[in-house]
Amino acid sequence: MTDAVHPETPQIARGVSTATLIKRDLWANAVVIVLLIAGMQAWSGFVPNYIMPAPLETAAAVGKVLTRDIGDILITLLRLFYAVGFALVAGCLIGAAMAMIRPLQPYLKSIIVINTGIPALSWMLFAIFWFKNAEMRIFFILAMILIPFYALNIYDGIRALSTDLVEMVETFRPTRLHVLRFLILPHIVPYVLMTTKSIIGYAARMTVFAELLSSTIGMGAKMGLAQNNFHMDQVIAWTVLLVILNLSLQGLVAGAERLLLRWRPEVVVR
Amino acid sequence: MSAPEINNHVIALERASKFFAGNPAVEELSFIVGRGEIVALVGRTGAGKSTALHMIMGVMPPDSGTVTVEGLDPYRQFRQLRGKLSVSFQTDRLLPWRTAVENVELGLQIGGVSAVERRKRALQWLENVKIFGEENAIKYPHQLSGGMRQRVSLARALAVDPALVLLDESFSQLDHVTSSTLRADFATLVRRLGKTCVLITHRIDDALEMADRILVLAAPARLMLEVTVTPALRADAKWRERQHHDIAAAMAVGMTPEPVTSAAAS
Repeated sequence: MTDAVHPETPQIARGVSTATLIKRDLWANAVVIVLLIAGMQAWSGFVPNYIMPAPLETAAAVGKVLTRDIGDILITLLRLFYAVGFALVAGCLIGAAMAMIRPLQPYLKSIIVINTGIPALSWMLFAIFWFKNAEMRIFFILAMILIPFYALNIYDGIRALSTDLVEMVETFRPTRLHVLRFLILPHIVPYVLMTTKSIIGYAARMTVFAELLSSTIGMGAKMGLAQNNFHMDQVIAWTVLLVILNLSLQGLVAGAERLLLRWRPEVVVR
Repeated sequence: MSAPEINNHVIALERASKFFAGNPAVEELSFIVGRGEIVALVGRTGAGKSTALHMIMGVMPPDSGTVTVEGLDPYRQFRQLRGKLSVSFQTDRLLPWRTAVENVELGLQIGGVSAVERRKRALQWLENVKIFGEENAIKYPHQLSGGMRQRVSLARALAVDPALVLLDESFSQLDHVTSSTLRADFATLVRRLGKTCVLITHRIDDALEMADRILVLAAPARLMLEVTVTPALRADAKWRERQHHDIAAAMAVGMTPEPVTSAAAS
């Protein structure tokens, strides 16, 4: 008798390994990239290079940017890291306060919910009006945009804490600090990582956008300069670097996740 | 072992009552547990065993009457009982992000024991509950079987060297074979260590197997029957059968208004 496979059964249930799925995805990515390059090449034959430069011209621009403007890339990364780091700490504190200090909860929640309704562009314009210093502007914009993500997820995370585990830890007569250290902090790690994974790409894009509006250095500022000078090859080069940066950041968070959440069992949905 | 002298008790409940939304969960419950005694609180689901246990744990205060553990009020003097009382629950309640040995270390860590000392003690306790080898000690809870997880949970409760161990249906979620092996191992261990132990269970066999004294409760947590068990009686199949029947009958009384407290020690 042969095993009948239901036509709607997902592939994973038929025993396709994760490695095979990764290979398949990489192959698909490679195909899309080759098609994009071919499209660029074809298009560049019909339009001037300030509309669409040839792929080789763009590759040269990438090399030039990497050698000449590496400082700008590092500055953007630094801005991104300290803003995400600050938002992580502040968001966790606000989320924890929302979950653990009952009288504050409705007020903090209200502030966060109103904040989520304010467009990123408004924060950028506020920052330009309120702060002279470019670093302060970028930091403020990113903090205002990112904090609510952490605060709401950490709040939900703490609320999802098992009362069984709380009761178990309490049998050892802990202080509040013990509960925070041994129960709450390890419990929220997956929520912090999940939030970071979701926002890191968005945060990188927002950093570049904020730099475009409020700074003369950094990737966003350089992209603005390239656009003003009609250097489309450099605009595309910066875009390519941003995509690579984004994928690297996602990889970094995924690595941290593998390291910090190695205790979690792999769940396979059949 | 007979009921302990009043001045050598670890737990004392005196007319302790607890109400939820006006309904009694525990009503004027009084009993004492002596040092080194293993006492089983037996009753049907909803008989108020867990409420009684929660009052002993200090999670909730009685609405009237008193509860003392080692002469302290477990609710109002909550932190003063650190290291003197520990609990093993129906489910293992292991922290999923900690390995087996790290779970056992939890109470020691809260108690301020140094890293080296607590690792040494935790590994020893894992061996005491028959989890051998470092390869098992460094496994995460999801990598262990249900029986092994429950053993880790027992090791965690015992590692702080408490005067009193509370078991809340700790063996009831395991299969019969694992449950009886674990029960026997645990009883041997606590007797060897001279720990005081209160076992909450709805399984009469668990109580007859492990306890020196069985207190049968019926809703709302009133003492219906008290049975004293000696090793000789435990080995007597006919006596066990009779007690099983009497305890089951007392548990079934449950909803009758008049408790029928009697000493059934043979």
